[in-house]
Amino acid sequence: MKELLQLAWDVLLFRHESYVQHAARADALKRGLALVVLVALLAGLIPFFINVVGDLRPMAIEARRQEAEEGMQEFTQSLAAMRQLFDVPPEFERQMTAYMRAGMRIGSRIEALPTRLPKPVGRVLQDLGAFLSLPFSRLAGWIGYSIWVLLVAKLLGGRATASQMLGATALYAVPHVLEILDFVPCLGATLGLVAVVWGIAIYVKALAVANDFSMGRATVATVVPALIGGALILLGLMGVLILALVSR
Amino acid sequence: MKALIRLAWEALFLSEEPYAEMRESSNSALRGLGIVALVALAVALAGLAGTALEWATTPNMDDIQQVVWEGIQKMPWYQELQSEREFREGVQQQYELWWRIFPQLFAPNIASAALRIILLPLGLTLTWFLYGVVAHLFARLLGGQGGLGQMLGCTALAVAPQLLNLATFLPYVVVGGVVGTWTILCRYVALKTCHRLTWGRALAATLFPYVALALLVSSFACLGSVATALIFGGGTSQ
Repeated sequence: MKELLQLAWDVLLFRHESYVQHAARADALKRGLALVVLVALLAGLIPFFINVVGDLRPMAIEARRQEAEEGMQEFTQSLAAMRQLFDVPPEFERQMTAYMRAGMRIGSRIEALPTRLPKPVGRVLQDLGAFLSLPFSRLAGWIGYSIWVLLVAKLLGGRATASQMLGATALYAVPHVLEILDFVPCLGATLGLVAVVWGIAIYVKALAVANDFSMGRATVATVVPALIGGALILLGLMGVLILALVSR
Repeated sequence: MKALIRLAWEALFLSEEPYAEMRESSNSALRGLGIVALVALAVALAGLAGTALEWATTPNMDDIQQVVWEGIQKMPWYQELQSEREFREGVQQQYELWWRIFPQLFAPNIASAALRIILLPLGLTLTWFLYGVVAHLFARLLGGQGGLGQMLGCTALAVAPQLLNLATFLPYVVVGGVVGTWTILCRYVALKTCHRLTWGRALAATLFPYVALALLVSSFACLGSVATALIFGGGTSQ
């Protein structure tokens, strides 16, 4: 563990030797995966505890209703703000409020229905399930994108195997530990943005080291799949737009 | 059994050694079958445990259906139109129809989870065998040197990402799409190692079965559309 933490620190500081040593290891992917999982769990730890404490607190149904009522008031205020910019009919606001109230009533009645195991057990299991799902969604995003980066890197003359390449690029996850403060208004979003930029820089550096090629090529390999994806989405949207115009 | 689990675990990390070990094994296809069955059984059992816990922490679906129905009846749009008998009956019919489908999709079902103990090993074995044979044909066409038995042994190791599904022994855990992507990577390493192919050829041989399947499904869909149009289209032209 100490070794892994040292690696994480060196990676954050872009120490070239640490990248080279990590990429050359036979267990680079194992260590990389361990880092990705660890970071995802750490980042989700505080929200998990907040949720568990909130769910275990003996909260009366009335208090929950009150909480929902406050949320609805916020929504009504945002509708009022929208009215200044757009032409929102007053009937729309009245209907939205009525439907939201009806939805809340249904939600609170379902919440009050009995379960075979005590309610708090179910709530904690739900929180735990959501918390343990975090590494999987991070892994899916990273592997899903890296598979395309691997292809472009190979076409650009990269020498890394799939295992080496994934092991090296997994290091991108380290700065995302900053997401532990995601729940803090404003600061959380700022740190999240810092983590994304820092993570991309680490990704490019790790890619260059693993494939033994220049930072320029690594940047191209990292960016090209995103550009192609963006272009395809744009083409798709344009296609839909043209179809809509033609069928008018 | 311990050796098989070790091989599957090592194969998960895309190292070529476990795949090479499988290729050199004297009965690689049989060992492969053992791995597929073992992994599928473990995953299905974990899923059963998770589903049972989810079922025990979810209210009865009939009660939820009743609560939602009562809620709908109190909604403004329903109250405005409830005097019309046709409307009332139509909404209730649609609602009941929807509730026949909805629980099958989202509600925890212990019977389905138990059935997976048989269906998952069967399904994974069938997929493994079909993919193995088709990918072997493409690999041979691209200059591969491995035998079919070796190929089946190596591609069996590509079920290793299914091990991630063991996490579903805890309810509400979502593993998601990572298993599918990781499986493609494992299959690529399996083909590359088994047939000693270059990366480009290994990639092509890995993806060809997927392309072939997509083409097959599209062709059937097109044929189905044409057949439907011929059957029902003829009746409307007068």
